[in-house]
Amino acid sequence: MIKKFIHQFASPKTYLKQVDKAYSFIFFTSLSIYLIAIFWGLLLTPEDFVQGHSYRIIYLHVPASFISQSLYLGMAFASAIFLIWKVKLSAYLVRSIAPIGAMTTFIALVSGSIWGIPTWGTWWAWDARIISTLILFIMYLGLISLHDSFTNNEKADKFLAILVLVGSVNIPIIKMSVEWWSTLHQSASITITQKPAIDPSMLYPLFASAIGFTGLVICLVILSSKLHILDRERNKSWVKDYV
Amino acid sequence: MNILYFEFLKLRKKSRGWLGPILVFILIMTAFPLTVEFLNEDLEQAFFSILWIAVLLVMMLATEDIFLEDFNDGSLEQLVIHTESLSFVIGVKILIYWALIGIPVSVIGSIYCLGITSSYEMALLIFPVLLISSYIFLNLFCFGNSLTLTKGSVLGTLITMPLLLPLLVVLGKVVIAINLGLNYFDFLILLLGVLSIIIVTIPLIISFVIRAHLE
Repeated sequence: MIKKFIHQFASPKTYLKQVDKAYSFIFFTSLSIYLIAIFWGLLLTPEDFVQGHSYRIIYLHVPASFISQSLYLGMAFASAIFLIWKVKLSAYLVRSIAPIGAMTTFIALVSGSIWGIPTWGTWWAWDARIISTLILFIMYLGLISLHDSFTNNEKADKFLAILVLVGSVNIPIIKMSVEWWSTLHQSASITITQKPAIDPSMLYPLFASAIGFTGLVICLVILSSKLHILDRERNKSWVKDYV
Repeated sequence: MNILYFEFLKLRKKSRGWLGPILVFILIMTAFPLTVEFLNEDLEQAFFSILWIAVLLVMMLATEDIFLEDFNDGSLEQLVIHTESLSFVIGVKILIYWALIGIPVSVIGSIYCLGITSSYEMALLIFPVLLISSYIFLNLFCFGNSLTLTKGSVLGTLITMPLLLPLLVVLGKVVIAINLGLNYFDFLILLLGVLSIIIVTIPLIISFVIRAHLE
């Protein structure tokens, strides 16, 4: 039964039906959560002892950074599924996620730059975490360029999947950069093995903003994937009925 | 052995393929002190950055059409149906490129290092790092060029460059380690470890990509 469910869900047509049903719920729920988190974080949480009010950009920067890396891991997972089981939907998802990943990485870099001014006194530092995040951004752009340079979509999907998998070595480098090198960027405040270094009054809105932001990005991925699937499957009869 | 000899003859005959990158490297390393008006100490600090970037650029130039010529004249298809494994052939090809380009560049780079730093120890320690890093650069640029076989080399270079930047960071740290007398051998082991993974996986990946191109 599980095999049948997975098999069914691998069809682009079924995928569109399922996400159409779920989209409104995900969008309004995550938007509400994110707005509550932003209101809570910007207005209700106390000032930081060292950074003052400037730390509040954490409610944008941290979710964006987290999501940018998670999206790449998602792409790597989908690429592996595509290369092993030749599931077309996985290839469509990889291509759809790439621009969203680039956007979230850009938001992380820009919000980090803005945060850098009051904390480090500079917009930019050649720091391991920042460089590796910049590499991730360039990787996303490279992935989009590679796929779009091919007229044969099947080949483009295959090469994109290979490059995503090879480039996934960058994700542990980003994650561990603050541990392996002595960096300007602070080390992880929230870890699995230790108590969080952030006060709960700031931590809970951070979790809420991460959940809300994730939901909103999922909505963007859904919209992007719908467009891509409809474009790629435009000659199929079910698309004509759907549209 | 036949393939090794065949690839060696092919590259040796195409002198612009191996001599060109070496000459470009010499040109960059010679031009660098001419453009800098600092004291000797500052020249030395800037030298290593220029060295790594020059090696990177030269390896990029060297692999520009590593597979394109074979693709255009049909010999790549012959290699695919050859009895030898395609990944082995690709590995041999990259090895020959490294032997004819990477090793001379490493030797010349060490000589320039001796000239700039006036330190035999530094030149000797940099030499193995140059050998390993040039081989890693070659492999990764070959991977990029294989992905964009028919699309021109610029795109291949662009998509490979992000993979090389962490290596550049490590190479910068190696120089600091040598200068401070710190854990140079740890970095060497790290580079050897990376090379050992790349030397096995990249030819396999490239062979998969080439087969996909020829389908």
